[in-house]
Amino acid sequence: MNQIELQCQKIKQEKRLGIMSHVVVGYPNLEETQKIVLMMARFGVDFIELQIPFSDPVGDGPVIRDANTVALAQGVKVKDAFELVKKLKQTDKIQTPLFFMTYFNIPFSYGLEKFCADSAAIGISGLIIPDYNLDMESREHFDELCRKHNLILQRFAGLDSEANRLVAQAKDAGGFIYCFSRRGITGVRPDLDPNLDDYLGKLKNIFKQPLAVGFGISSGEQIQALKGRADIAIVGSAFLKSYNEGGLSGVEDKLKELVSARDQS
Amino acid sequence: MKNFFSPNQYDADQLGYFGQFGGSFVPELLVPVLEELTKAYEEAKNDPSFIAELENLYKNYSGRPTPLYFAENLTRQLGGAKIYFKNEGLNHTGAHKINHCLGQALLAKRMGKKRLIAETGAGQHGLATATVAARFGLECVVYMGAVDVERQRPNVFWMEQLGAKVVAVEHGTKRLKDAVTAALQDLIANPNDTYYLLGSALGPHPYPSMVRDFQNIVGREVRAQHHEMENKLPDYLVACVGGGSNAIGLFNDFLNEPDVKMIAVEAGGRGVEKIGDHAARLQGQGKLGVVEGYKSYFLTDDDGQVQPTHSISAGLDYAGIGPEHARLFETGRVHYTYATDDKVLAAFKTLARTEGIFAALESSHAVAEAIRLAPTLPKDKTIVVNLSGRGDKDIFIVAEAVGDVKWKEYLKTKSG
Repeated sequence: MNQIELQCQKIKQEKRLGIMSHVVVGYPNLEETQKIVLMMARFGVDFIELQIPFSDPVGDGPVIRDANTVALAQGVKVKDAFELVKKLKQTDKIQTPLFFMTYFNIPFSYGLEKFCADSAAIGISGLIIPDYNLDMESREHFDELCRKHNLILQRFAGLDSEANRLVAQAKDAGGFIYCFSRRGITGVRPDLDPNLDDYLGKLKNIFKQPLAVGFGISSGEQIQALKGRADIAIVGSAFLKSYNEGGLSGVEDKLKELVSARDQS
Repeated sequence: MKNFFSPNQYDADQLGYFGQFGGSFVPELLVPVLEELTKAYEEAKNDPSFIAELENLYKNYSGRPTPLYFAENLTRQLGGAKIYFKNEGLNHTGAHKINHCLGQALLAKRMGKKRLIAETGAGQHGLATATVAARFGLECVVYMGAVDVERQRPNVFWMEQLGAKVVAVEHGTKRLKDAVTAALQDLIANPNDTYYLLGSALGPHPYPSMVRDFQNIVGREVRAQHHEMENKLPDYLVACVGGGSNAIGLFNDFLNEPDVKMIAVEAGGRGVEKIGDHAARLQGQGKLGVVEGYKSYFLTDDDGQVQPTHSISAGLDYAGIGPEHARLFETGRVHYTYATDDKVLAAFKTLARTEGIFAALESSHAVAEAIRLAPTLPKDKTIVVNLSGRGDKDIFIVAEAVGDVKWKEYLKTKSG
């Protein structure tokens, strides 16, 4: 069974909220990325997104976007992301399920099948590709290739998607469903959207898979507020922001805050 | 009605693919927005009242039809095929861009949208968008890389005079692609009241098809005008190609005419040998990729990272090419060549001196190709060149490139 699925089961059995955290590979450099990932694993986050930097990250807000630009300016290559995962898995023996997150042109340029095969071979469990939607599947067969290599290609539930579209997303989806806390893009925002309950309520009728909520999740209070509403909280730019403000200890403080909020009864 | 847009066998399929190119590679949050747009556009293009309103705007607001001008002096000087210029520079706002801006603004109004947003590099597309926003009483926000805002103050000034808000994008590389991203993100955040007015025949479906359709008027007018003057079809069509809107506008109506040869001219910059020196995607260095929502050829590295480009003309200084052009390249229907900055500048000067026309530096790429081509052809052949815009806007670049000392002194005096 795919490691993401196993972790989803574990979260369910432990009757708690899951947390997915995020790094940009090579920001501020590869050594530091490795340290941050290991710290996240040590704190017991449930999933980690390793974002392979891309020159045109259309789904990302300013914080993640700038991190992409910095990583690329330092010459970070796609092969560096693969090397990093190899180290994390083989040397550091990290157990946390890992996603590669990036934009479609990265696997496309690498060769879709080879990208899937190589990712699976080093222990990646899933891919999050925001600019690939299932309408393209009949031409690109990316989801099919991911399945073939036992990778989960992350599914999304849009805020304004028609029911039939959501049903299509639910069909054969592995792991969990990526839901949006609000309109817009990645980035830290103080409050949860007042319409979140309606949206998640609608989704619960359609998806049997766990619901993960991302975009704007950054604080212990928000983690508390998500309990009972969602199954997994996705935290992205908040970690980058913590790093920018306080380095590794900034990330550590953020992890403490979020994980203790998660584990508080 | 259908003929207004000249449908042909190169059109996109239901998913927006032109052969293997195009598609709609966008985040899930944008899918419903683009579905709504596709539906609204399909309805509008089959609605006689929409077409009538568009024709009225083309005629009475923009000044269409633009002339097809026989360049007698230049033809005589070159001593070969007859050169005609389709003078899109005589449109309101001075370029062909107004054609698809009017079409899209009309569509936005029909869809009940209240805001127009756009990305802009040098500012020309932003200016055209701000113009139609003013005309239709729509709020307008133009995203522009902070670096470009610094370099293009006159266009920023005019956009603001038209009532648009110009947002300097301070993230990423602070250039055009960051402006595109910022505009897309605005659209994701405000899907209900906002219309994203895309500036060329590229991006996710339905934009490449829609922008082509709104530019189709150029080729249709050429057909009628050329027939009236020469009593036949043109032998050659020549246009510059950045994203590809003016070229597809000229070509589309003739794609089904096998005797009409077509040449599109990319920005050769300082030469096409090295990435970073040019913006020529189809001269051997472009790679198949998926960027900004569509699949086409892009100037990227082996990892797929978009690389910097260079051209003397801001409008062609772009790493991707519209997906229908990629298809026309692959099938061989259109021949894609390039002109370097120095050839472009020479063509600009030649046209000014022989015909009294300032062509935009973008359009001067097409002029350069016509100057090369005409002497190689017999005198009974005709070449139609899309003069997509007028050159007045390029005064800073041209003055700098020709090294005009008095101009430099003038700038100093004004700034002092």
